[in-house]
Amino acid sequence: MNHKGLGLVLVLIMAVTVAFAGCTSSEQTPAEEQVIIEETTVYTVGIDGEYPPYAFIDSEGNAQGFDVESARWIAEQQGFEVKFQPMAWDSIIPSLMNNKIDMVYAGMTITDERKEKVDFSIPYWVVNQSVAVHEDSGYTLEDFKSGSLVVGAQSGTTGQIWVEENLIDTGLMPKENLKASYSNFPLVAEDLKIQRIDAAIYDKPPMLDAIAGKPIVIVGEINTGEEYGVAIRKDDPELLAMMNEGITALMADPYWEELKTKYEMTE
Amino acid sequence: MDQAEFLFQILLPVLMEGMIVTIKLIVFTAPFGLILGILVAVGRVYGSKPISLLCKGAVGFIKGTPLLLMLFILYFGLPSIGITLSAFVASLVGFIMCNGAYNSEYIRGAISSIKEGQIIAAQALGMTRMQAVRHIILPQALIRAIPGLSNEFIYLIKYSSLAYMLTVIELTGAGKMVATKYFEFTEVFMIVGIGYLILVTITTIAVMLIERKVAVPGMTQSGRNMLDIL
Repeated sequence: MNHKGLGLVLVLIMAVTVAFAGCTSSEQTPAEEQVIIEETTVYTVGIDGEYPPYAFIDSEGNAQGFDVESARWIAEQQGFEVKFQPMAWDSIIPSLMNNKIDMVYAGMTITDERKEKVDFSIPYWVVNQSVAVHEDSGYTLEDFKSGSLVVGAQSGTTGQIWVEENLIDTGLMPKENLKASYSNFPLVAEDLKIQRIDAAIYDKPPMLDAIAGKPIVIVGEINTGEEYGVAIRKDDPELLAMMNEGITALMADPYWEELKTKYEMTE
Repeated sequence: MDQAEFLFQILLPVLMEGMIVTIKLIVFTAPFGLILGILVAVGRVYGSKPISLLCKGAVGFIKGTPLLLMLFILYFGLPSIGITLSAFVASLVGFIMCNGAYNSEYIRGAISSIKEGQIIAAQALGMTRMQAVRHIILPQALIRAIPGLSNEFIYLIKYSSLAYMLTVIELTGAGKMVATKYFEFTEVFMIVGIGYLILVTITTIAVMLIERKVAVPGMTQSGRNMLDIL
């Protein structure tokens, strides 16, 4: 390339850079002003887009679910706004830590490992893990617990962690028999349907939803007594206080029972 | 847990297992991809009209659909018509198809760079058309196709990470599992990246050695090999 051409390219790069620099600042100013005028803060809530009945995206692309409606109610009661961001579950905590979202409100189990990275609100729900098998296979919960089955779990879920801690680390089950790289549970259910795996483990309510209409039956529950909480960044105690207050108020409100009825949830 | 303990006790053993799976995927794919590429390229250039069209159509189809989509069809779609492949086999089939299709294009380009007259000359010596292709055209074309083929091989190393989407725990998948469990995304993926870099570097050096080995004086510019600069 001759020097004239190089110069031209440099000038172009500089022009583009300057143009975009201008863009950003002019876009940001009105957004900030708006927030000040309305005096409401918009928090982004990270959810799993395929986690019914807690959080899911309906056919029109809107966020729905027990947790989503809870979050909307709390936001209204506490005087802020929420918008929902469906994202990959296994990287949702890093997204929270990197300010991509402000909280995770989608059936997240409170665990010690997660607590090291983020804060949790007071627990608002308790679930157990359910084990499902293909209805023709005749496998039982005892087969599952003996470690003789090939088990599928969604990546980064407490079901995966339970199997690792209780079956693999104890030497009952070879590591290869746990298939835990599925990005969502419907894919696990799909593989169970064609019996590529023998059993699946997942939180009960979303599992019921995913196996509806498939030749899959739940053979038992593992009493893990996991508590769901809202995950919030450690440097955001203000939001944590608001959410705690909101959850307490919600659970005392008749709307809580209404929600439970709507999503057919029993404690 | 300190950083060194995490790195040596937890991360590296898992990544090594993943690396072995990645290497297996590449080693099983590459030869078949090369054979498929040669067959398709020859079929396209020298085959009869229907064969040529078939090869053209197949390459167009494979080039035109995302590999990830094809893998999903192979793994989650085929069971509905009664073909259930394991995740590893489904990945291999997808990679071989993709690798073969792209390889065929590099080889086709190399074939058409060799003068038509050579076939006529070979036929004048009593060879059949296919003999001429096999003994005269292909040996020259394959040497010329090496830069393109090695490029595709390097792509293969990197797109082998898509097998993770079908539950094959290869290098990227192994890294992601550790990252998800310990929430150490930056560190883990940096080391995974170094893993791929090592594989690609080894490949690049191997290709340079091969190129020098098979260089024919007068036909290729053997003097311009990168190794001589090193």
